[in-house]
Formats: sequence, structure tokens, C-alpha cells
Amino acid sequence: MAAEGGGNGLALYALRRLINAVPLVLGVVVVNFVLIALAPGDPVMSLIGEYPAPAEYVERVRQDFGLDKSVPERLWLYLVNVAKGDLGFSFANRQPVLDLLLQRLGRTLVLMLSTVVVASTVGLFLGVIAARKPGSVTDRGATGFALVGYAVPEFWLGQILILVFAVLLGWLPAGGFRSVRVEYTGMAASLDMFRHMLLPMAALSFRYMAITTRLTRASLLEVMSSQYIVAARGRGLSENTILWRHALRAAALPVVTVIGYNFGFIVAGSALVETVFGWPGIGRLMYDSIYTRDYPVLLGILLFVSMTVIVVNLITDAFYAVLDPRVRY
Amino acid sequence: MTWSTVKRALFVFAALLLAVPAAAQETPVKGGTAIVILGSDPEHLNVGISTSYPTGAVGANIYSGLVRSRADGRPEGDLASSWTVSDDNLTYTFKLRQANFHDGTPVTSADVVYSMLQIEAPNHGRFKTAYDQIASIEAPDAETVVITLKVPYAPLLSLLTVFDAPVLPKHVFEGTDPLTNPANDAPIGSGPFKFASWVRGERVEIVRNDDYFLDEALLDKIIFRIVPQDVARSTALEVGEADLLWGFYMPPADLPRLASDPNLNTWTGITIPALYFVFINTNTPGLDDVRVRQAIMYAVDRDQVVEQAQGGLGQAGSGPFGAGFAYAYDESTDYRTRYPFDQEKAKALLAEAGVSGLQLRFVYDSARGAFAAAGDIMRDQLRQVGIDLVLQPAERAVMVDRVYKGDYDLTMQSFTSSGDPTIGYHRIYRSAAPGTPFVNATGYSNPDIDAWLDQAGGLADQDARAEYYARINEVLANDVPVMVMFDELASEASSGNLRGMRTLLDQRDGLEFLWFAKP
Repeated sequence: MAAEGGGNGLALYALRRLINAVPLVLGVVVVNFVLIALAPGDPVMSLIGEYPAPAEYVERVRQDFGLDKSVPERLWLYLVNVAKGDLGFSFANRQPVLDLLLQRLGRTLVLMLSTVVVASTVGLFLGVIAARKPGSVTDRGATGFALVGYAVPEFWLGQILILVFAVLLGWLPAGGFRSVRVEYTGMAASLDMFRHMLLPMAALSFRYMAITTRLTRASLLEVMSSQYIVAARGRGLSENTILWRHALRAAALPVVTVIGYNFGFIVAGSALVETVFGWPGIGRLMYDSIYTRDYPVLLGILLFVSMTVIVVNLITDAFYAVLDPRVRY
Repeated sequence: MTWSTVKRALFVFAALLLAVPAAAQETPVKGGTAIVILGSDPEHLNVGISTSYPTGAVGANIYSGLVRSRADGRPEGDLASSWTVSDDNLTYTFKLRQANFHDGTPVTSADVVYSMLQIEAPNHGRFKTAYDQIASIEAPDAETVVITLKVPYAPLLSLLTVFDAPVLPKHVFEGTDPLTNPANDAPIGSGPFKFASWVRGERVEIVRNDDYFLDEALLDKIIFRIVPQDVARSTALEVGEADLLWGFYMPPADLPRLASDPNLNTWTGITIPALYFVFINTNTPGLDDVRVRQAIMYAVDRDQVVEQAQGGLGQAGSGPFGAGFAYAYDESTDYRTRYPFDQEKAKALLAEAGVSGLQLRFVYDSARGAFAAAGDIMRDQLRQVGIDLVLQPAERAVMVDRVYKGDYDLTMQSFTSSGDPTIGYHRIYRSAAPGTPFVNATGYSNPDIDAWLDQAGGLADQDARAEYYARINEVLANDVPVMVMFDELASEASSGNLRGMRTLLDQRDGLEFLWFAKP
């Protein structure tokens, strides 16, 4: 890697990574398309209802949506359209896939970003206080929490949270992304949405909080025994200064990697959590479109997810340079 | 009837005694918004081109049909103020009321004829079955519609409701492709509610039509809230985020919990008879032998399935058409006396057929909890007689694909009668080529049965129909291509102060009768 450093190097590096990503995304699209096309289940069935439909009708719907063509033909058409920025037309929602994604995107991003921020912040903090005195009560508490958090499935946790905070205590709404009975505007509407977001966010963050806690702790313990920390101690710096100013920065590198790496999993987790909480975002859309075999929507979401993961990983790489002055692009 | 069904019946009876005097003092009041739960987004809101459940739930309250069915099944005029039937039962003449579409245009006989001929006959599965019996649909003047049948057809009126033959505005649909017309997402009907808005994945809103031709709706607005997860639906009702949970979307397992909530009302009963079946693939080696199919009938305790898989909300199957239609039920061939739970008899029949070590695949929709539970019970009980049942849960789309292409041995399905065995159940027993979803999937084919089904479907006189059904019942009780598991009891849960549910036959219809009692 070029050692001149500076913003220019990073920009060139980012460009190279993006160019490298093109065949990757193409591969993702093709593999997904073929997998979905080979999977059993007929999308037309979800469109005609629960009663036998006239055969001519079924045939006409099939033609309308181009489902009468062969798989390679459909794949080629799809790729050409995607290259033109057209993600196709949703069978089940009867609107362009891109419009549908954009409608849902905001709600999912709000949920995902707050999950990442909360999970990373709380996780880092818990990891640090656990590593400060290994073997202490705080350490055991934090690692115990991390173990449980890692083991608990999101959809189950979501249901328990609803049971406790919505049904038993009545503090928070049980589902949806805004109140149904009252219509709020302005600030009140934002607050209303925030109240609806707390439980799904908690359900989604738990696991990533746990991962971040464990990793921060392990990474910190390793750094704390390295020679430069011993040297810092020798110079008489306080334990807190060493921990927060010297050790954490070095220990954060693997943590940042994992946060970036987990972004894709958070999207997957959001499919479950959004379904449990009736949150109308991309995750719910993914769940619904698998159920109705709405291929164009499913492909659009998978394309979006893979591009997000690539971009987030790129941001993660850029973060390395900020955290660790030895890293240069 | 099991003890718990008796207890439940007594309980319902006691509740009715208590509830009637209280309800009698209440007078309906106008105003308010009710939140009704749907399990998924409708694909669109045009009931004229789809039999989909959520589409019907919303669309039925926006559009009108010629007739509608009261809760007791009695037909009454919807857009039709009256009708006459000719002596030969072939010609139905309908007079229309003065009514307007939501855009102000009057509803005329031209709209009726256009909807039926141009939109519903080619696109609507259930109306198509009626249309196959129809010779002509004509409009001699603006207020009159004449439907002439090829042969007498008993269920005609129940296929002219809003669910099968909604009257769509001709001026909106003419010259367009009805499948892609934008009005499918923002419908213009003539019903008690007008379409207001739709946020996919979240809600559909409809508001009162102040220009409605019958009794105006009592509520100002209805919000259909989309809650995909069944547990979350019950919770929404418990915490007051919804008012009404019904039909397909009511999780039977949650009923006892909801019933014990003092803020909620619950109801169980039969509106439109519906059956749960186990189809037996007669093309599977072994299952082609009638003795093996009979052995399966003896080997499964259907009362236990009702109790454990369906939370008691049902009655063990009594015959091919259930117990919901007196003329199609026959006591002498009742499966409950003909095939009592008797595993020794099952073993004997299997031995007689020379079948041993039979392994069968049980294919079912993995989203249906009752099917999975029934599968578990059947696996245990069939193992006792030496049949190895392999449970194969599949997503609905995959299940439909496999079952109706014949790639299964046993499968569980639930069908609604839609108010007449001709509409709902005949398709299960009539010979059919494999590959068409929701029709005969057992491969069973009997020309006698086909002929008798056609006869029974054509007659308006119920005694005459009963004769044909008796013959059919007798043959099917011996051949058992289908194990009728149970007659379903429907259930519903609602806010304690919501009134006016189930005024019409279909739970999804007639939301204009809903109102809130003052606390």
C-alpha cells in the first residue's frame, strides 16, 4: 500500500475498492436471481387469492409480469434494467420497486443507525468497565450480560419486551411506528415515533451490544498487558488516563471492524424485529416479499443490502486511519 | 360433542342471557374510529379481480354487490331493491336502487353488466364458477338487470354479493386493463365507506360515505391496521391499540387469554361453514387401496386433534360437506359413527391390504400452527398402527406448488364453503387434472360423483338437493379420498364497547353496522 498518506491516498483507495465492488455486486445479483428462480413457489399464486382462478387469467398475469419467459432471458432483462437504474415492478405491491424501497428505507435506517450507535456506545462502555478490573463483580456482571445477550434470539426478546413494557407495565406501545388513535404533527410526531422505536431498537441492539462488550473487553485486556502500557504505568500515569487515552484507542480497531462487519447482520435481524413489532421498514418488506414470492422486491432489497455492506466496510477502513496513525492508504 | 364443547356452549348461552338485557338498553350512536386488524397488506383493493382475504376485508366495505347476506344467511337487497325469479328458475330480474358512486356518478345497470362481463367473469375465480352457468346478463333499462341461466343454479344469489360480483364504476374501468387500473389502489365504489388513504405495511383508512343509499355507517372512520405476527395481533387488542380481531387473523390459541380480559369481548360460533381436511393422495402406492385410506380414518382420533390443535374450536368431521348444511349432511354416513377412533380396526385393515412399513409425507403450510399440531398428533397415532408419518412443513407458496402438483402423500388444508357447498367444496371431490391450485388434489375421480355434484348444485329445492348429497355421502364415506378433520368454529375478539359485529354473514362485511357504546 502506498505510504505517502493523506486524504488523496484514501480517496484513491476508496475508488479502487468501489471499482472492485462492481463484479462483487454483479455476482450477488446473479446468484440471488438464480437461487430465487430455482426455489419452488409461484408468485402468481399469491396474487389470485385463495380460490381457483380461471386458467386464462393466471396466464395473463404471468405474461404481464414477464414470468412466462425463461430464467436466462429474465436474468438478462433484469440486469439491463438494473444498469439503467430500474429495479423492476413489484407483483404484490403493484408499484416500482425503487419507490417502494425509498418509502421504507427511512424507517429502517432510523432503526438501524440508532441500533448501531446504542449498541456500540453501551457495548464499548461495558467492555471498558469490565476490563478495568478483570475478575471483579462488574467484570462478571458485564461478561454475564454479554453471554446472555449473545444467546438470546431477537424475535423472542422482542416478544418478551412487548409483554413486559407494553402489556404488563403499559409504558410503551406494543407495535407499529406511530400511534393509530391520535395523529401527531411536528415535534410531537417525532416523539411519538421515538416511543414506538424504543422497544424494537432494544430488541435489535442487545446482541450487538453483547458482541461489542466481549470484544472490547478481550481486546483491552490484551493491549493492557503490552509493553507501552507497562511503560506508561512506569511513567506514573493514572490508570484511568492509561485506559481511556492510550489503551482504548488501540483496542478499538478490532471493535470497529466487527461493528462494520455486523451491519449486514443487523439488516437481517431487522427482518425479524420489524415483523414482531409491525415496523413497516425494509426488513418487513423482505419478510413479506419472501412470503408472496415478490422476486423483484426481494432482489432489490438484497442488492441494497449488499451495497450497504460494501459502503459500510469502506467507512470502517477509513476509520482505521483515524484511530491508528500507523494505518495509511 | 365432547364435554368441553358442551361446557363452552353452556358458557356462551349464559353469556347471552347476561348480555341481551344490557345490549337491549343501548341505542346505536354515531361517530368514532374503529381499528380493525389485518394480517397482511391487501395486494390491491379491487374485490372484482381477486378472491384474496385482505382485499375482500377492505374492498367489501367500499363496494356494493346486488345482494348481501344477513348473518342467518338470508339474502337481501344491496344495490338491488328487489328481484324476481321466473318459474323455471332460469331468469332472475333485479331492480336497482337510486345510488351514486363515491365520485357522484349514478350507479346504473350498465355498470352492473360491465362489471360482471368485462371484469369479473374473466378475472374472478368464484364469479367464474357462477358465470359458467349463466347464458346472458342484460340491461333492458337503466334500473333493471336480467340474468338468465343455462340450467337452474342454486347458489346464484350468494355469488352476487360484493365479494364475488361487486359493482364497479364502468366509467373508471372502460378502455383500461382492469388488472393495472390505478383505481385498484384507490377504489371508487358505492358502499358505506369511501377509500381515504393507504400506507402499505401500516394501515388502510376508510371514511363514512355520507351519500350512501342504505343506512349510513355509524363510525366516522375505520383504520385497518396491518399486524403480520399473530401474537402481536392479540397483544394489540389487549393494550388497546386495536378494536377488532376476526376471521383468519384471530389466533385460536389466544382465545382463552383474550376471553379472560375484562376489557374485551370474545365470540365463537359458525358464520360461514368452513372445514379442515386431510387430503389423501390416491396416486401414492398404498393409498390407492381404499382399505388403507379407511385404516387412516380409524387410526386418527379427530376429537383429540380438535381439542389440542384447534383449542377446542371445532367439531370432529361428520362428512364430506361437514355439518353446516342440513341438506348436505347425512346421519347414516356420519364419519363419527362410521369411523370411530379404533386402532385395532386400522391394523386389521392394513393387514388385510397387505401393507406394512408404509412411510408417508405430511405436507403443510408452516405458518398454520393448527396444521403443525395436527401433524404431531397424527404422527403419534399413525405410528401406533405401523405407519411412519414424516412431517414436511413448507412455506405457503411451496406448499401450494407441491400439493396441487401431487407431490405429497397427506396434506392438511382448510377451505371455506363461501355459503354453499357448491361454491366451496364441490371442487375438492370433482375430477380434475392435476396442477390447478385449490381444486381436487387427491387424484380421486368418480364419474358418478361428478354427475351427482352437478345435479346437487343445480337444484334450488333443498330436499331435492339432499337426495343427491345422500348418494354422494354414501360413496365418499366408503372411498374416503379426503379425511374431513373438523368443522371449524370461528372466533372473534373485540374492545368491550364495540357493538354491531356480525350483522352480515361474512365477518369482514357490514362494518357500517359497527358502533361504540358509551362507557
